[in-house]
Amino acid sequence: MSLDSAKSNLWLSLRRFFRREFLPVLTDLRLAIVLLLAIAVFSISGTVIEQGQSVPFYQANYPEEPALFGFLSWKVLLSLGLDHVYRTWWFLALLILFGSSLTACTFRRQLPALKWFARTWKFYKQPQQFRKFALSAEVDRTPLDNLVPFLEKRYQVFREGDALYASRGLVGRVGPIVVHASMILILVGAIWGALTGFMAQEMVASGESFKVQNIVDAGPWATPQIPQDWSVRVNRFWIDYTPTGGIDQFYSDLSVIDNQGQEVKHKKIFVNEPLRHRGVTFYQTDWGIAAIRIRLNKSPILQLPMARLNTNGQGRLWATWIPTKPDLSAGVSLVARDLQGMLLLYDTTGQLINTVRPGMAVEVNGVKLKIEEVVGSTGLQIKADPGIPFVYSGFGLLMLGVIMSYVSHSQVWALQKDGKLYIGGKTNRAHVAFEREFLTLLEQLGQKQIIEEHNSVQAIANQDA
Amino acid sequence: MNLVLLQNWLDNASFAILFMTMLLYWTGVAFPRMSYLPALGTAGMAIANLCIATLLGARWLEAGYFPISNLYESLFFLTWGITAVHLIAENNTRSRLVGVVTTPVAMGISAFAALTLPNDMQSAAPLVPALKSNWLMMHVSVMMISYAALMVGSLLAIAFLVVTRGQKVALQGSSVGTGGYRNNGYVLHKAGEVTPTEINLDNSVAAFQSNGSSTAVIEAVKTIQTPNPTHSEPLSPQRLSLADTLDNISYRVIGLGFPLLTIGIIAGAVWANEAWGSYWSWDPKETWALITWLVFAAYLHARITRGWQGRRPAILAATGFVVVWVCYLGVNLLGKGLHSYGWFF
Repeated sequence: MSLDSAKSNLWLSLRRFFRREFLPVLTDLRLAIVLLLAIAVFSISGTVIEQGQSVPFYQANYPEEPALFGFLSWKVLLSLGLDHVYRTWWFLALLILFGSSLTACTFRRQLPALKWFARTWKFYKQPQQFRKFALSAEVDRTPLDNLVPFLEKRYQVFREGDALYASRGLVGRVGPIVVHASMILILVGAIWGALTGFMAQEMVASGESFKVQNIVDAGPWATPQIPQDWSVRVNRFWIDYTPTGGIDQFYSDLSVIDNQGQEVKHKKIFVNEPLRHRGVTFYQTDWGIAAIRIRLNKSPILQLPMARLNTNGQGRLWATWIPTKPDLSAGVSLVARDLQGMLLLYDTTGQLINTVRPGMAVEVNGVKLKIEEVVGSTGLQIKADPGIPFVYSGFGLLMLGVIMSYVSHSQVWALQKDGKLYIGGKTNRAHVAFEREFLTLLEQLGQKQIIEEHNSVQAIANQDA
Repeated sequence: MNLVLLQNWLDNASFAILFMTMLLYWTGVAFPRMSYLPALGTAGMAIANLCIATLLGARWLEAGYFPISNLYESLFFLTWGITAVHLIAENNTRSRLVGVVTTPVAMGISAFAALTLPNDMQSAAPLVPALKSNWLMMHVSVMMISYAALMVGSLLAIAFLVVTRGQKVALQGSSVGTGGYRNNGYVLHKAGEVTPTEINLDNSVAAFQSNGSSTAVIEAVKTIQTPNPTHSEPLSPQRLSLADTLDNISYRVIGLGFPLLTIGIIAGAVWANEAWGSYWSWDPKETWALITWLVFAAYLHARITRGWQGRRPAILAATGFVVVWVCYLGVNLLGKGLHSYGWFF
């Protein structure tokens, strides 16, 4: 035996294993159901256990003694990756298995179902064939032609001699195929986006320019997406407040600047209205206070940076220290909560000494302190996702597919033989509605027959007269 | 007219009407001979539907935005959805049983919203910046209607489980087209002769159908009797049993809710991507919407799986009722976020 033939034997047996053992398991509906439910169950864990917190957080909330449910201590929790369920290897493996099952089902079950459309219309030529339908009837003295007008309103009717076939709602058969194929498209788009996209966050003071640098998350092939030869300037950032003091909307006035310093694009963005340039999108997501502009007595305008205070999640505060003597031996601390409200002034012992609003002046330590402006900074989320076109077309097809899948495919067969009319019908989804429709059809047929017989009797009577 | 006063009047009125309607449907089941009761029930449901629509319309006028942004408004929108889906399902199937399961839930939700919710949670409040978008209307309304449809479908599945307890059932209706054929063992019989097989098909169901007229088409059967009654072995339609009817309405209503849920989730994903650049971020609400979607997808697949048919898919659908509620309200207990309606403890 040569090495080559051994290799090809191995290859053949692998292929046989794949086709005979692996594919049937992968396309098994029961596997699909189990996978759907398994993903559902494991997803629940990520909504119950806080995600992405620090180790001390889990140590405090999931102690070893007593462990939650007797086993869920912080050590178990972290080793299973329950602090980031949706990025653990086992959750991703589950998703990959689901994707494979979906793909296998689409190609082995869904697409082959299209053959159904290639076949010629099946006419039933024997009365016995109507016995298998739950909804079937035989009617005497009624010609096949009487049936056609009732069906033609809603059905596509085909005839072959004394046999009739009518169908309606064929899209209902195509729907599930579209659904499955579109879901593959969404998965492909999501994977492509994860490989080639990036996400960044920037906190920029009003008036400053920036290049996208603070990359938070990037795929292995993301480099071409990150803008190199252009930057963005925040012309102005401001907040509109409602009359009651709540935040109405955040605005950033942005300009895209090329390498020569020329403005190539200009847009005012706000939440729900981002700026797009060359596949990169800038979203308004956050805000802060960057600096304060003040005037001491008759000094020129001084700009002092503001720092965010650590409040342990109890609201957002920014503060700075303003010297009131040239040798910096005395001064006040200034604390701000937002861009328009009251600013608080504290002395060196921590006592609140005064409050001031932007645009107003106040006397501290014998010096006139005028607040010219509170300079805001805008929090921008910057993203490029080349997978979006795939994902969006998948979304579109999926919506179309699920709507198509609601339609019930109804079929009616009829045969005229030996003076009798045999009618049978079935539908794949809406059994209750179809039953009503079928019985109404029979009723109409009976009434028409009675009217026609009545008419013909009258006609004969008229002839006789 | 004072819009706030009108709203206060309408929310109590819709609760009262739904309560009466529930009593009408329940009495209708207990006394099947009183055939005007279900008709009154349908009227009650329609009036409640209009009351809630007016209530939400008044709120829209008052607040100036589509009224499903806090718990009170969304509860009433859900009730409106349930009454609407009820009317559709009842009209399609002519079954008085739909109301028996939908009215208690609709009544319960409106009672909770009108009577239990504290006043400050009932009043309209301005929208936060993130929600100021036309997507709000598109995403939230479709989601709420899908919840309503899925809830009604699950309730009917529970009713199916109650009716068929201790029996083996073959399902009618699925994407591949199971059902529609005569039962095995069904003997075509001569007209005027009652075969034992037909009677033992389902005793309780037959009894229900004969005196309760669970579907209005029963009268139609009489008129389509073959013209020649003496002819041997005439073919006549085999009617769906009560269990089949319930199961099929449940399947169709869930079949309506599932596309709506899909469209709602997609609308949310597109909105999220347009607003802050990520169409999926595994936030608890998103995740629970996905869980709901997965459970009902499993239900739809279970219906076409050999060996899983019968009561098992209905059990899945009944589980879906709990899942939809967790997705709609339970998630609020898990944390704050854009999807939070606020809570009162």
